[in-house]
Amino acid sequence: MDKTFETERSTSVSRRDFFKRTVAVSAVAAASILAPGSLLADDENIIHHTKWGTILGDECNFNPYGLPSEYEHNVVRRTSALMSSGGDMHAAISMTPLHELSGIIVPNGLHFTRTHNGVAHIDPNKYRLMIHGLVEKPIVLTLDQLKRYPSESRILFLECPSNSAAEWKGPQFGSLQFVKGMMSCSEWTGVRLKTILDDLGLKPEAKWMLAEGSDGSEMSRTLPVEKVLDDVMIVYAQNGEALRDEQGYPVRLMAPGWEANLCVKWLKRLEFGDKPWYAKEETSKYTVLTASGKAIQHFYANEVNSIVTSPCPEKPWTDLKVGDLVEIEGLAWSGHGTIRGVDISFDGGKNWTEANLKGLVLPKAWTRFSYMYRYEGKALLLQSRSYDDSDNVQPTVNQEKKVVGVEGVYHRNAICTWAVDAKGGVTNVQVRS
Amino acid sequence: MFKLDRKSILIGASLFASSALLFTGCLPSSTSVNEKTNASASSKLGQYEIKSKTAIDGGVTYVRANGVETAYAYNQQNTKGVSFGRTATPNEIKAWDRDSLHDGTGLPEGEGSVELGEELYDAQCVSCHGDFGAGGRGYPQLSGGNQSKDENGVVITLKNQRVYGKTEAPKRTIGTYWPKATTLFTYIRDAMPYAHPKSLTNDETYAITAYLLAQNRIKIDGETMDDEYILDKEKLAKVVLPNNNGFYPDIDGPNGPENVRAFFANRAKNIGAGIRCMSDCKDPGGIDGKTETAVMTIEYEMSDVKPPYSTVRDLPPEQEDKTISKAEKMYNVSCKLCHATPQMGAPVIGDVDAWKSVIAKGFDKVLVNSIAGIGGMPPKGGNEDLTDTDMKLIVEFMIDSSKKK
Ligand code: HEC
Ligand code: HEC
Repeated sequence: MDKTFETERSTSVSRRDFFKRTVAVSAVAAASILAPGSLLADDENIIHHTKWGTILGDECNFNPYGLPSEYEHNVVRRTSALMSSGGDMHAAISMTPLHELSGIIVPNGLHFTRTHNGVAHIDPNKYRLMIHGLVEKPIVLTLDQLKRYPSESRILFLECPSNSAAEWKGPQFGSLQFVKGMMSCSEWTGVRLKTILDDLGLKPEAKWMLAEGSDGSEMSRTLPVEKVLDDVMIVYAQNGEALRDEQGYPVRLMAPGWEANLCVKWLKRLEFGDKPWYAKEETSKYTVLTASGKAIQHFYANEVNSIVTSPCPEKPWTDLKVGDLVEIEGLAWSGHGTIRGVDISFDGGKNWTEANLKGLVLPKAWTRFSYMYRYEGKALLLQSRSYDDSDNVQPTVNQEKKVVGVEGVYHRNAICTWAVDAKGGVTNVQVRS
Repeated sequence: MFKLDRKSILIGASLFASSALLFTGCLPSSTSVNEKTNASASSKLGQYEIKSKTAIDGGVTYVRANGVETAYAYNQQNTKGVSFGRTATPNEIKAWDRDSLHDGTGLPEGEGSVELGEELYDAQCVSCHGDFGAGGRGYPQLSGGNQSKDENGVVITLKNQRVYGKTEAPKRTIGTYWPKATTLFTYIRDAMPYAHPKSLTNDETYAITAYLLAQNRIKIDGETMDDEYILDKEKLAKVVLPNNNGFYPDIDGPNGPENVRAFFANRAKNIGAGIRCMSDCKDPGGIDGKTETAVMTIEYEMSDVKPPYSTVRDLPPEQEDKTISKAEKMYNVSCKLCHATPQMGAPVIGDVDAWKSVIAKGFDKVLVNSIAGIGGMPPKGGNEDLTDTDMKLIVEFMIDSSKKK
């Protein structure tokens, strides 16, 4: 298996290089695991005082806005030229490091990003939101006024419908981060749009809503009013703090479960009308061209989906010994509702067994699944398959391909496969014909 | 290969009681999901009440009642009468409401010729979108592609599928794929040119739109768009792009939303669905629909990942902070604790008088004292990693920062 992941320090000698020593010591410990305790080498990290235990730490508010440990500097979003819709990285995507995440909440700095004209920086004092069209009372709101409306919070995943878009014709990426990293999950806080509309008086002819961004791309999309009145929110907070610029500071739309592209960032204007608008991002892009030569438009929800996050190419099983009991972990999500369960297969989809859900199981949110596995040192084709409460079952590559072909770009939710080799190395493959 | 005894190694209780489903072979999705619901009737986790009507996207809508919506509580007090912000003025609405519908409603006055469009395009767009919109520079291609249609009116090349040895991709350009020309006008005016969006006038936008439509060999009312052709809002509203009928479900007209609902209600047929088969599952495919599956591996791996892949947990390479000197950095880490305030009895940095008496001893003496320790000051301030040269730099910095300015 080719190794693209740097797992050892590249710079050799450093005065703070206790990391390398740890590795060496634990290797000794592993080698002598069956020997009597007296033969085990002592771990210097235990025998001697640690550096951090013998000096005074930083002042309590040294970083007035806290930062991750310096040692976590490789836990970052990543991108590549392939993630661009142009020749530069302003209309492009960066991917969340799923392999390093725990639970269902993504730290704000690691939330994936997609921009169509760069990351806009909005002065909140000059920010205005206009709601007009087929309403009795068209209004303008400042940010403070918007925040005066009663707020609600929801834990929701956001997924770009081009997550895995490069993999329709075969496996393309050698990492979990690029295979599925165009998604994140956060607690979003804002105003339910219906609360505002109750005051504005939506006219009965209103069938569609245009949501428009104020960035250079003036990103705009059409949403059906039914969804707007159900659960759409105008959000200004993400995991307790203001949205990050990359997520549309100060305000973005949130259409739970639907294409992240519909959750328009840097939101400027909502117009209600009786006809759909045909914006660029719902015609030229974000439409699913099928093998019939015709394309599906207004494809809203991100379908039922799942992925094994441990093991994965970045976090293989190469440190395991035969007989180790190890957790297989993963994420499942559905824009159509709530995850009901996840099955996993070790043989590329011939036979399946039920995994367990764990943690919070919420609608339109990431849901963790777990399965305890006795490591046998054998090659596996590891898959997960999720299903939700609106009777959706995640399809195989062949099942999905049969209906929509391989040129649709968007909305790919086929089952993923990790090939685990006999040494525990993990690569991305596809089981298909 | 995977037997029931895997269950015996489960840690903690299974969320759902292990069900007989496991080895029942292939089941249609709805049956299996329903059975699962029954099997876990005792657990409320993730089981929410569902409204009868399916949502427009084919999913479920959840009931909001008695202060509870799925796992979330909400405030049941009446919010009627909550009202903030102010009425938008007609001028404000006019300034922002610049979109247009595909029937031309909302398009502004103005006009522009293909010829002027070419001039503007060559000056402001060609660097990214290529000559005549032909692409080739990493940015979207705006013209080209074969617009011929089959007997059902489908653009033939859009049926291209790069599987089973075929290599030609479907081309999604304005002429082969876009359904509406009004989209082009609005998008160019609001979002292009890329680095200076919203810099084009309406007239200029009509001209560039005309040029791009002409490059895509679009006819308006049967008329070919030559250099002298002048586009305005009436003419733009009349454009029927070749792939106008290439999209489904039908969203136009009063039944639009209901068409969408009907489409997504039949997801298995329209967007594809899996089956919850549990054992001996077969999944044939291929050009004949009967080919056995095989394992397909990555052909070539992307090499330009930024930042490069790494899961190492080490310290990041040190970055020069040009705004503060090395001496000041060392001072901040090892000396500031005592020398920033008078509490410790140390000469405070910036205190001119205190340092005057220190310096009176002579620099060398002071340096030796700080290296060896003096009074309440430990050797090297307690940081033995500092070299004598480091100490010299720091002491110089401290003295320098405590001179009369
Ligand atoms: C600096 C490069 C650059 C220049 C100059 C530029 N564009 Fe673009 N253009 C882009 C990028 C990048 C996109 C894709 C944006 C996205 O991802 O949403 C794009 C998209 C487009 C599209 C949509 C293409 C599609 O198929 O969806 C049109 C139309 C367009 N540009 C027209 C123009 C016109 C007209 C001009 C000149 C007035 C222009 N562009 C100048 C970079 C450029
Ligand atoms: C734990 C507190 C503490 C720390 C840390 C500390 N100092 Fe001091 N320092 C003192 C005190 C107290 C004095 C006054 C000693 C006296 O005159 O009795 C002093 C005095 C000095 C003097 C004057 C010596 C003299 O001859 O009068 C210098 C120079 C000095 N410190 C440099 C440093 C430098 C450089 C560092 C960091 C590498 C440092 N100190 C860190 C407490 C500290």
